[in-house]
Amino acid sequence: MTRCPAGQAEVEMAELYVKPGNKERGWNDPPQFSYGLQTQAGGPRRTLLTKRVAAPQDGSPRVPASETSPGPPPMGPPPPSSNPTSPLVGSGPASGVEPTSFPVESEALMEDVLRPLEQALEDCRGHTKKQVCDDISRRLALLQERWAGGKLSIPVKKRMALLVQELSTHQWDAADDIHRSLMVDHVTEVSQWMVGVKRLIAEKRSLFSEEAANEEKSAATAEENQTIPGFQQAP
Amino acid sequence: MATYLEFIQQNEERDGVRFSWNVWPSSRLEATRMVVPLACLFTPLKERPDLPPVQYEPVLCSRPTCKACNVDVPALIELFPSFQFPPAYGGISEVNQPAELMPQFSTIEYMIQRGAQSPLIFLYVVDTCLEEDDLQALKESLQMSLSLLPPDALVGLITFGRMVQVHELSCEGISKSYVFRGTKDLTAKQIQDMLGLTKPAMPMQQARPAQPQEHPFVSSRFLQPVHKIDMNLTDLLGELQRDPWPVTQGKRPLRSTGVALSIAVGLLEGTFPNTGARIMLFTGGPPTQGPGMVVGDELKIPIRSWHDIEKDNARFMKKATKHYEMLANRTAANGHCIDIYACALDQTGLLEMKCCANLTGGYMVMGDSFNTSLFKQTFQRIFTKDFNGDFRMAFGATLDVKTSRELKIAGAIGPCVSLNVKGPCVSENELGVGGTSQWKICGLDLTSTLGIYFEVVNQHNAPIPQGGRGAIQFVTHYQHSSTQRRIRVTTIARNWADAQTQLRHIEAAFDQEAAAVLMARLGVFRAESEEGPDVLRWLDRQLIRLCQKFGQYNKEDPASFRLSDSFSLYPQFMFHLRRSPFLQVFNNSPDESSYYRHHFARQDLTQSLIMIQPILYSYSFHGPPEPVLLDSSSILADRILLMDTFFQIVIYLGETIAQWRKAGYQDMPEYENFKHLLQAPLDDAQEILQARFPMPRYINTEHGGSQARFLLSKVNPSQTHNNLYAWGQETGAPILTDDVSLQVFMDHLKKLAVSSAC
Repeated sequence: MTRCPAGQAEVEMAELYVKPGNKERGWNDPPQFSYGLQTQAGGPRRTLLTKRVAAPQDGSPRVPASETSPGPPPMGPPPPSSNPTSPLVGSGPASGVEPTSFPVESEALMEDVLRPLEQALEDCRGHTKKQVCDDISRRLALLQERWAGGKLSIPVKKRMALLVQELSTHQWDAADDIHRSLMVDHVTEVSQWMVGVKRLIAEKRSLFSEEAANEEKSAATAEENQTIPGFQQAP
Repeated sequence: MATYLEFIQQNEERDGVRFSWNVWPSSRLEATRMVVPLACLFTPLKERPDLPPVQYEPVLCSRPTCKACNVDVPALIELFPSFQFPPAYGGISEVNQPAELMPQFSTIEYMIQRGAQSPLIFLYVVDTCLEEDDLQALKESLQMSLSLLPPDALVGLITFGRMVQVHELSCEGISKSYVFRGTKDLTAKQIQDMLGLTKPAMPMQQARPAQPQEHPFVSSRFLQPVHKIDMNLTDLLGELQRDPWPVTQGKRPLRSTGVALSIAVGLLEGTFPNTGARIMLFTGGPPTQGPGMVVGDELKIPIRSWHDIEKDNARFMKKATKHYEMLANRTAANGHCIDIYACALDQTGLLEMKCCANLTGGYMVMGDSFNTSLFKQTFQRIFTKDFNGDFRMAFGATLDVKTSRELKIAGAIGPCVSLNVKGPCVSENELGVGGTSQWKICGLDLTSTLGIYFEVVNQHNAPIPQGGRGAIQFVTHYQHSSTQRRIRVTTIARNWADAQTQLRHIEAAFDQEAAAVLMARLGVFRAESEEGPDVLRWLDRQLIRLCQKFGQYNKEDPASFRLSDSFSLYPQFMFHLRRSPFLQVFNNSPDESSYYRHHFARQDLTQSLIMIQPILYSYSFHGPPEPVLLDSSSILADRILLMDTFFQIVIYLGETIAQWRKAGYQDMPEYENFKHLLQAPLDDAQEILQARFPMPRYINTEHGGSQARFLLSKVNPSQTHNNLYAWGQETGAPILTDDVSLQVFMDHLKKLAVSSAC
């Protein structure tokens, strides 16, 4: 699964897909895996297919029945499914999964995504340089324009909704991971404005930890100053 | 440990080592008679999820010339009798042992606590003489990479075409760049002067100290932290245009790769020497101008082929190679590495530029276009994280090898340069990069593997005590991707044996897979400087001698020839190696050969073996998927084959299977098992495609398909009617003819091995 801890099932499934490669530009271009599938493959790589067969030492004649036998082979149908010697399925995960079995959910609303982002930006205004805020603001405006103009695909909108959710519950790493998955899987659509969202997450995170640190400090000083009634102060 | 196979595998998993021999012949004379040298494949940063690094530094031997670490003390006491534990270790007892003394910690990693940790540096060097689609795709990949880089890494941008532009990265106002002519090479000092890197402190910036490495957090105007500069750099990348200089009909664009790289190397040299950095060169065609040019701009004069090189008709090759070798050596000396991402339909000069990647440990990626999944995903995989969430790449490694006194070091083959450290461990006979016991690997990852070759120096008349063991210690200092410095120490020991009386023990402990890869690396190393046929002759001679020594046979009776299990696959490996693109160059362009050899010289054993002898698995209704002989007899009408050559994954449907698929049986519910059969190899292929770096090409073909040639060219042609062969009957090593089948090859081999004439 992806690193996104709070992801709902349908979003997780949508993030694990395989697209064919670009056959026009590259001969035998391999298929393209989504970010979710690629991060799944992390960890020690076990190469499963590694066995070899030794050639017979005495050079005995091999079983014939190769491609060079003359005439077309008699073509009956394959053995039907009830045949007990059906082969083991390969060990890899199912490929090319498209989430067809899930109910079509209503599209994420633009306002539900943009409002929290703009709010987050407002929160950061005191803490972040003006120029950076303006830059982020510019990019959010671009996002809005694209969304309103119908230029964003459904997966992008869905994942942005999820990102905003993670952001509002202070799940910085999860939000960051979603931004990364969007950059990897949909770079053409998102590259111009996504870096603003990325920066926003970083700024909000640092603002939050600053505030938390300040709170701790003020709580500590408050404790020092507090006197407990009826308790003798140490000399 | 029931068998040697288990022993070998456990050692590889624990220590990242595979030795050609696991019981060592105790004298020099006997060792040379073994034919295959005593050598090992060593993966310095072998992934060990179960091995957390320890938080202290290793204790070193007190002798100043030694510096062996105190792992596996009994062996070390043998090697270094003067070794003393420092007082801090006074509390050692049976129950309270430091980690290093426990046998399962033969490999251990230490973290260095002191010293500033400098950020990683990524310098993009981007060719703008690309087609519009390609440039757009490349720009997007670079923008995407900004999200994958660590936030405090430093990043920089140089673009080039006819001119070379060094971009000043700033957060405010108009972006500036420094433009250089692409025709004239400059010295490092000139570059640094022109970029203003040697001027005294500028008023609006922090004072730049004379020794930048003492203040690692100072960034330069050209290399800024990602978290500060990502928005501006995203825009800058987005605005990059194709090289504006018009290209007339019949001409190539003027591409100044040589100068661009030179400026990149000089920039990093002047600002951040001795810290982890990658220069990432993205190029869409050959260098056509300035130093390092590989071909002129007239399209009608093609770029050199192997034929041209053989006929000494490659005008620019020597000079260009020299230019890039100079850059590569400087880069390695600075502790940086150079990656080359070359995407074009024609050659791009990888032959001349290969030293940049090979000497520094950088990557070489070859594709058809930046707008392909192969490039995009391979590039993404550079930033893959391991089980800990750290990048798999590491920087600035030095490998120091020490041996017990009966052994010396002959050399190493892999992505490294020599540090020229002489000493008592260093042999005068060189194999690979020799004359040293220390090498530098500026760029490496969790699978980077070196081949290290040894020499047994013990004299025949100086017997080894009973049960005596030899020991080798590998000490790797490196910069982890978290920027922290670490030291990994692997100490291994193996038993000596007298080859006269215990040959069977030595035989049983032979690792034919490791031996094949180690000999192959030697062969490919030689092929870089020797003639092809000479290398094949040498390889054949070694194989014949090995069979003569270890085969069981009656003299002059080829039919009696047998090899024991631990040798049975070895001749096959050699057969396929001789046919492989590493030694057969004429089927490929010089760039392709360089690309294949680059990857061969750094992969671990399993992947290297796949490159030598591709894996072939067969899927059918007759049972579970099984490995089959890489032979035309494995191509059957009712089978699906999956072949993995490392660079390609081929799925091939036999004739009957293809007909069934065409008839649509997989869509009928009563033939669901056929659907599963078709899916099984696809799933297995996906497992491989999902993880491998670089990403392989993917060929899905069937009987009669044009792409079937990828399978047909690899399998042993045992089914042809070709019986024409000729081999030398005179004295001198015979060559076993190309394109013979494995059976014919083995027949010749047996004849030669049993003959008293050889």
